[in-house]
This record gives sequence, structure tokens and C-alpha cells, in this order.
Amino acid sequence: MSPPLVVVGLSHHTAPLDVRERLLLPDDRQTELLEALAQAPSEALLISTCNRVELYVVGPGTDLHERTRTALTGAAGNDLAPYLYSHQGDAAVLHLFRVAASLDSMVLGEPQILGQVKDAFEQAQRLGAARGELARICAAAFGSAKRVRTETDVGRAATSMASAAVEMARHIFDGLDGKTVLLVGAGEMADLAGKHLVSAGAAKVLVANRTLERAETLAASLRGQAVPFEQLEESLILADVVVCTTASPRPIITREKVARVLKPRKHRPLFLVDLAVPRDVEPEVQTLDGVYAFDVDDIQKVIAENQAARAAAAGRAEVVVAEEVARYIRQRAVREQVPVLAQLRARAEQIRRAELERAIANLPAPLTADQAKVIEAMTAAIVNKMLHQPTAKLRAVQAGESELAEAAAELFGLDVTARKAEG
Amino acid sequence: MIRTCFTLAFHAYALGALAYLAVLAQGWKGMAWVARGLTAAGWLLHGIGLVLVLSAQRWVPSGFGQVVSLLSFLLVAVFLAVDLRARAALLGAFLSPAAVAVLVPSLRMDVPGPELTEGLRQPLLPVHIGVALAGLAVFGVATAVAGVYLVAERMVKGKRFGPFFKRVPSLELLDDLNRRLVTWGFIALSLTLLTGAWVQSRLRPEARWGPAELAVVVAWIAFGVLLQARIFAGWRGRRVALLTMAGFGVLVVSFVTRYGPWVAR
Repeated sequence: MSPPLVVVGLSHHTAPLDVRERLLLPDDRQTELLEALAQAPSEALLISTCNRVELYVVGPGTDLHERTRTALTGAAGNDLAPYLYSHQGDAAVLHLFRVAASLDSMVLGEPQILGQVKDAFEQAQRLGAARGELARICAAAFGSAKRVRTETDVGRAATSMASAAVEMARHIFDGLDGKTVLLVGAGEMADLAGKHLVSAGAAKVLVANRTLERAETLAASLRGQAVPFEQLEESLILADVVVCTTASPRPIITREKVARVLKPRKHRPLFLVDLAVPRDVEPEVQTLDGVYAFDVDDIQKVIAENQAARAAAAGRAEVVVAEEVARYIRQRAVREQVPVLAQLRARAEQIRRAELERAIANLPAPLTADQAKVIEAMTAAIVNKMLHQPTAKLRAVQAGESELAEAAAELFGLDVTARKAEG
Repeated sequence: MIRTCFTLAFHAYALGALAYLAVLAQGWKGMAWVARGLTAAGWLLHGIGLVLVLSAQRWVPSGFGQVVSLLSFLLVAVFLAVDLRARAALLGAFLSPAAVAVLVPSLRMDVPGPELTEGLRQPLLPVHIGVALAGLAVFGVATAVAGVYLVAERMVKGKRFGPFFKRVPSLELLDDLNRRLVTWGFIALSLTLLTGAWVQSRLRPEARWGPAELAVVVAWIAFGVLLQARIFAGWRGRRVALLTMAGFGVLVVSFVTRYGPWVAR
């Protein structure tokens, strides 16, 4: 029996960038959605990144899938329906494990996704939306992702968005030695991109961010220089490579702005990498001579070329994930059997006591303390020996054998409804 | 001996061109060295043949076949120098077949060529022809580089990242090669004009410049402006690549007008 887990969402596999941009819900809408769906006994988790938006819900009812889908389209618009996919039960569990292990990422094995899933889980926990089975699934998914990272090459061999951007830069520049990099935004992605570019030979790093303190912190870690956000245009004159990672709702680098700096730049090539969703760089910038702009979808094209080379490592990672999913399902099944066992033993004990008391009451003379002890031990031994095999079988139940618990409940006349509610 | 050298050179170039095309198609790095080796061997044989021919003619090529043979030799020389310096084997896939094609007419050239008249025996004439053909060869390679640049830039702008894309040198390297080649070509073109003016003043002082000479002057002005724009206004990339190709086109017109097989000597 699979847990009542459902996932509905869209990702870079199913939706183009402009659709994904629209589904990026602001924090307050995310909170509303989670609170609405996580009314006890249900639980909910919302993973929202630039490449995927997925809503995971655990709860009772046969209409769970429909409710989840309706909630997501209600929050983001009905026209998104063609881009949505969904999984239920163990397929949904496997999907979450694969997402956390970065096997479903745009860049196979990229490290950011695990942090993003953890952030989503923390958000759900803060709101009290992930507390029971969903929390256990997440914990198992994180453990699985860690195993994938340590036991396979998929993490080590992975090309992140940042390193894919460096690869692209090498098609434009004859090496990055002596080049100036401008990071617009000072988050985790900017940090990663900066590190990749510096290790590839970039000579100078400029960091522009709306909050100057964050720019200064990142610049210090990259031995670069923070520049006021207001001086972005002046920085564009100096830069050869620009990496944008801000959360700005509208483009920061417009065609007009870039056109103005072309002459002062003496028409040096300008490589713009826009890793932000919504985009920070106006697509029309690409029409300017000597300007090469790449957004996240373009970077995906680049890395798609590298995916085949990592297929072997990914194959091993898939095996690890499958093992971890099986382990989770096994543990869940054991948890599901515990109430059956408890009820079975309680029922047996109840019968034993009742029959023992009736038998003792029918005796012509009361038993001595020693005799009572012997009879007590004998009946207990009979019950234990009778229940030994069923107990062992139920405890050792494997994935996919949860029907055994159902059968035991049926055979011994246990309260199945109560057991399900506990599970 | 001379014909054997040219025939062997032709076959070596042809095999080198096939090897370069294989590099383009499959990206085999080892094959690039095979291609370079074959082309270099062909070039040496070609050089031996040319020395044997030209040394008997006061170093002045005579007839269309000899001129295109020398042009082909210089084209391969420039290309090999660029390939060895920039490891741009991909260019070979375009230039080697071009060199083979240019060489074809020379396989049927007269050896020795038509006798030079006494008036043509000017000491600066071999220098004039040599720098003119060297300039044309340099601009030919620059044009191939410009062509590859335009294709590569189109792939970058169009986000087409296939296997071919991975084999193309960076845009910056191609642009820098273009800059160097156009600079050397401009120097050769300047020397061509100077020596040409001197030779003409000695041979036919009364003659006015014809379309061939005017085309060279137009190309010289265009490339001069191009270099100025590169240095002072920072022109580069696509615009420069297109102008290089246009300038080379003018030079080809001049060459064909001056040396074409239909031109009466």
C-alpha cells in the first residue's frame, strides 16, 4: 500500500521559461497555499525554484490528486494545466528522491537543488505543514541525496549552471585570463558562478547588488570589488562577462543600457549570462553586435550536450536512489504493520486471559500460587508459539507485501479502519 | 621531375584536405596531425617544383598556371603557419580544398613557361608579383577565418551547440587571427602598390592605371580604413569579418582581371 502522497507541478522538462516565470509565487501566496492544503491530517510541501514548481501533498481521500491540482492551478492560473505533470503514491516518492538527488535537474548532479528542497522543507515545517509522513519522506530523500553525492560521480562530474556558463565563455573568449567579471546579485548562485569564473582565470571580479553589504561580503570572499548598484552601467563598460542572478521582477540589463555602453567599451565582446528567473537581461540585448546573452534555457541547451557523458554516473545514482526508495518503503511498511501486530497480540492476550479465567472458575478447588503460575506460563507459551510465525512474518515484511497486514487483520478480525487511521 | 613534384604535391594536398574534412566531421585530434603532415609534405614538394621552375625564369612566374601554382603555395604556407600557431585545424577543412582547387589549373601549366620579353626582366618584378600573391594568400586565409567567425558567431547567437560548435575556435581567437592577417595583408598590399608603381613606371611610363590596379587601390583604402577603425574605434567581430570578405572579393577581381587565362600577355 503506497502512502497517500501526490505531487503536481511543472519543470524545465514540461514548461518553457516564460511559463515557469509566471508560476513563481511570492512568499505570501506560497504560505497561503501551504496553509490551505496542510489542514490536519494533510501535509504539504512546495518546491519553487527557477526550474521547477512542485506541490507535494500527503492526505486522506481519493480526490487528493484533484484537490492538489486545483489548488496549484487556482494559485497560478488554469492555462498552466497543459504543462503540469503529476505522480501518486510510490511514484511520487521516487520523484521527490530523484529531485533531491539532482537526477531530475536541468544540470544533472548540480548541487543547488538539495539546498532548495531543504529550504522548502524548512518552510513547510515552520508553517506546520510537514510534520508526519511527509517529514519522514523528506528526511529519507535527503539521506538518499547525500548517498548519491558521496557514492557516485554524478555530483563530482556534474556541470552546474555556473560551470556551463564558463564553458560557454570559452567559446567567446580565448580563455578567461585577464577578463573582468561582473556579478549582478550576491546570492548563492552568484557565489558559485564567481568561484567558477575565478578558477577559470578571471582576473577581476566586480559585484553589484541592491544591498551593498551583501555585495561587499561576496566581493571579499572572491577577492573582488563591490560596486554600488547605481553604477551598474559604468561597471558594464569594464566587464567582459556579466552573470545576473537577482530576484528582480523585471529586467535590469536592458537593450538600451547595453547599446549605450558599446562605444565606451570599444565594441569588446560582452558575454551576458542570465541565471535569474524572471530574467534580468532583456532578450533583445542579443540583437546587438558583439553581445552574447544566454538565459537559463540557453544554458540548458549547452549542458544537454554534456549530459550523455554523465549517463554512466547517473545510472549508478539511479540505482542508489532506487535502493533508498525501497528502503523507505520497507520502513514505512514496518511502521504500517506495527498496529496490526499490537492489535493481534492484544486480541490474543485478551482471549487467553478470558479463557484462563473461565477455566480457573470451573475448577472444583482454587489453584495454589505455584499451580496458577504454571498454568499462566503454559497459556502464554501457547499464545506466543502460535503467534511467533505471524509476528516474524509481519515484522520482516518487504516492500510490496503490505497485503500481508491486510490479510492478518482479516483473518484475526482486527479493526482495519482504526489501523489505517493510525498509519 | 618538376611535373612529378607538382603531381605528388597535388595528391598530398588532396589527401590532407580529406584528413582535414575528417577532423571537421569527427573531431579526431590525431587526424589533425596527419592532415598537417600531409599538407606540409605536399607543400615541400610543391616548393621544390616551384624553385625548379622559377629559378630557370629569373624568378618571374610566367602564364596563368604558374601564377596560380605560386598563389596556392603561398596560401598553404600562410594557412600552415596559422594552423600551427593557433591550432585551428578546422580552417584546414575550408582552406585545403581551396588550395587543391587553385592548384588544379597549374597541373597543366607550361614548363618552362612562355619566354619573358626583355622589357619584363625588371629586378623588382619578381618582388612585386611575390608580395602581390602573398598578400592575396594572406587575405584568402583571413577571409576563411572571417567565414569561420561568421559561422561560429551565428551558432553562438542562434544557440546551436552541436558537435561542430565544439570544434570551432573561440570568437576572440578568430577575431585576433583576422586582425593579424589583415595587418600583414595590408603591409603586403602596400608593398604591392609601391613596387607595382615602380615597375609600371619602368615598363610603360605612359600607361594609365587599369581596372586591376584601381581595384587594388580600392582594396588598399578599404583595408586601411578597416585597420584604423579597429585601432581607434575598436571595430571588431562580425562587421570586420564581412569587410574582410568584401575586400578580398575586390582583390580577387583584380587578380582575375590581371592574371586570368583569357588576359592577353
